[in-house]
Amino acid sequence: MSGGSLAPPVGTAPQPPARAPARALGPARGVAGRVRDAVTRIPRAGRVCFLIAFVNAAIWGVVVPPFQVPDEIAHFAYAQYLAETGKAPPQGVRAQYSPEEQSTLEALNFFSVIGRPQMRGILSPSEDAALRTALAAHPSPRGEGGSTPVSNQPPLYYALEAIPYWISPSHNILTRLALMRLLSALLAAGTVLAIYLFLRELFPSSPWAWSVGALAVAFQPLFNFIAAGVQGDNLLFLASALTFLVLLRAYRHGLTTRRAVAIGAVVAIGTLAKLTYIALLPGVALALALLCWRQLPEGRSRALRTFGVAIITAAAPVALYLLLNATVWHRGSATAGGIAAATNGNLPGGGSVTLRETLDYTWELYLPRLWFMHHAYFARYPLWDVWFNGSVGHFGWLDYTFPNWVYDVGRYVFYALAALAVVGVVRTRAVLRRLVPIGVCFAVMALGLLGAIGYAGIRYKLSSGYPFEQARYLFPLLALYATFIVLVARGLPGRLGLALGGLLVVLAMAHGLFAETLTISRYYG
Amino acid sequence: MLPRVALGLATLAVLVGLVVDLSGSAPRTAGSDHVSPAVFAATVPGGGTLCEPISPLPGDAARAQLLIGTYGRPVPNLRLRFLDEAGRAVASGDLPAGAREGYVTVRLHRERRSPAATRACVAVGGSTSVVFGGEAGSVGAASELVNGKQQSGRISILYLRAGKESWWQLLPTLSRRFGLGKAPLYGTWTLAALAVLLLGVWIAVLRLLGRELR
Repeated sequence: MSGGSLAPPVGTAPQPPARAPARALGPARGVAGRVRDAVTRIPRAGRVCFLIAFVNAAIWGVVVPPFQVPDEIAHFAYAQYLAETGKAPPQGVRAQYSPEEQSTLEALNFFSVIGRPQMRGILSPSEDAALRTALAAHPSPRGEGGSTPVSNQPPLYYALEAIPYWISPSHNILTRLALMRLLSALLAAGTVLAIYLFLRELFPSSPWAWSVGALAVAFQPLFNFIAAGVQGDNLLFLASALTFLVLLRAYRHGLTTRRAVAIGAVVAIGTLAKLTYIALLPGVALALALLCWRQLPEGRSRALRTFGVAIITAAAPVALYLLLNATVWHRGSATAGGIAAATNGNLPGGGSVTLRETLDYTWELYLPRLWFMHHAYFARYPLWDVWFNGSVGHFGWLDYTFPNWVYDVGRYVFYALAALAVVGVVRTRAVLRRLVPIGVCFAVMALGLLGAIGYAGIRYKLSSGYPFEQARYLFPLLALYATFIVLVARGLPGRLGLALGGLLVVLAMAHGLFAETLTISRYYG
Repeated sequence: MLPRVALGLATLAVLVGLVVDLSGSAPRTAGSDHVSPAVFAATVPGGGTLCEPISPLPGDAARAQLLIGTYGRPVPNLRLRFLDEAGRAVASGDLPAGAREGYVTVRLHRERRSPAATRACVAVGGSTSVVFGGEAGSVGAASELVNGKQQSGRISILYLRAGKESWWQLLPTLSRRFGLGKAPLYGTWTLAALAVLLLGVWIAVLRLLGRELR
């Protein structure tokens, strides 16, 4: 370099003007072109489903008042701390929320609203004026990063949320929150698109089924309630749906190096999104082993290479995270960011939970208690009370629901749909039979999740006395829910099946619509 | 044809259900003192008075609801008053003796529009004690005074609008409330805009299904 000048040295031949820009813009144009190609390869109906899901989730994001999505105060606190400091929260006994968030929560009457269905937040102009006055004092947005229920999670979702936080044209916390909620809506739309593409792989000869299954998810009200807020589950749901998609795609078309990279990348995203994703890993590992085994006839070394590519792609970002935990963020140790807590079997007070207790609890969480299980962990059967009724709709901080008759009717509707789904399985058996091996892997993923919920649930319940389980914890399996909906529709032959598919979507839309009116009456009525 | 007919009929059924749902009349809230009736938070002897500071009384508050316990006896007569800084009544209401314990509703009579009420006081008639639902808490500037003596806790007061209203009748109020407590970019227009967006979403879905289910 001569004096830092970018001019070509005197006497040297000038570069051909056309080539330099071509080299500079080439990669960018290439990436943009590839993205455009990838988007245009998605069927138009899939893109429409994505758009519909995004707008619907964005509407929910305005309907639900600030911070009323479960744990949104803690998720926002994490994202704000990361955005303000560039670090994951150090945790520990110190202020959980920034002065700005704390002041906003108090002015919103947040703590008197959650868990109290008869209470409202801000209903009058004078209360709104008090909120604006509190914000006009410009309390600091920089908190101390104290422990919250989510501060031990990995930082990927929060790092993504830092982007709308930063680019917000206003520093008003509520404007920032509104923009951050749009990112959650985008992730929810991505989940719906991933499920659409998953169904395309599963039922390649039934394009109508792709839209029906994806739209049933797009209007699921609890899914939208979570998508309405700053909530790390949204990235978990997307990563899980993508996992089902990339594994099925690799199973149907073969495990190429690109698909191995895709599997590894999705696993890395899921693991760095929320630790719950770890529960899917045994099933993913089994699927990866299956995919490599099927590749053996093409050469052992090729199979091992693609396996290695997937593992390295998944492990490298996670290893980087562990390193940052220990060295840059000073969170105590490499595994301090939640991994240690998630794998510690003991209770915080020092007591321990036996394997038998864990197995009993996990069984009772989903199935009727058996004669040799002496401890009844639940007063009511969780299959209906937690999972079914919760999926139909336990909203807010679990503080408002539909009238009881809705759940009663819903149960009979479910019986009918389940019967039709069984018929659908029989009618689709030729297609499904070919997918049994990967289906077993998906079942292991599902069992891993159910087991992890039970494992964490008994420890939480014994240490705090409060129930742990919420229906949304099953939403990493939304791809299987969409499959169920399609099988229901395929339970009827020909055009009757198509009509039923349409009716199921309208039912889902009606479910979502009445959940929205319920939400409006809860917070504004 | 069959799928389209099914879609059309199902959509019509949802519309009818929505209209029926929104047409139901019921008492509607006007706000509260942001205290929930979680526990019995105050005991007031017969002839005694309880006062506590409140945020301004909502303009559309026509009734006030309190949770009262009398240990099985009839509720004595109550006088509820909302007072301004100078101690003048902004609104007041009476509950005649004889009501059953539980939630009681006191109709409010507005005596002057301004200035805003800063205190609520309940005078208990008769000679027996009653307890009021509210929240326990430490003694502070916001806690209740019973016969002038500060006690921990606050009682719950839920404000109701006049009469019964359908959601259609409440729409202008809902629109106004919808813009409050949110980012400054939202306002009274937001609820209507969301309704239009949602209508667009429904139309997009029906068009998509109409094409896909052929």
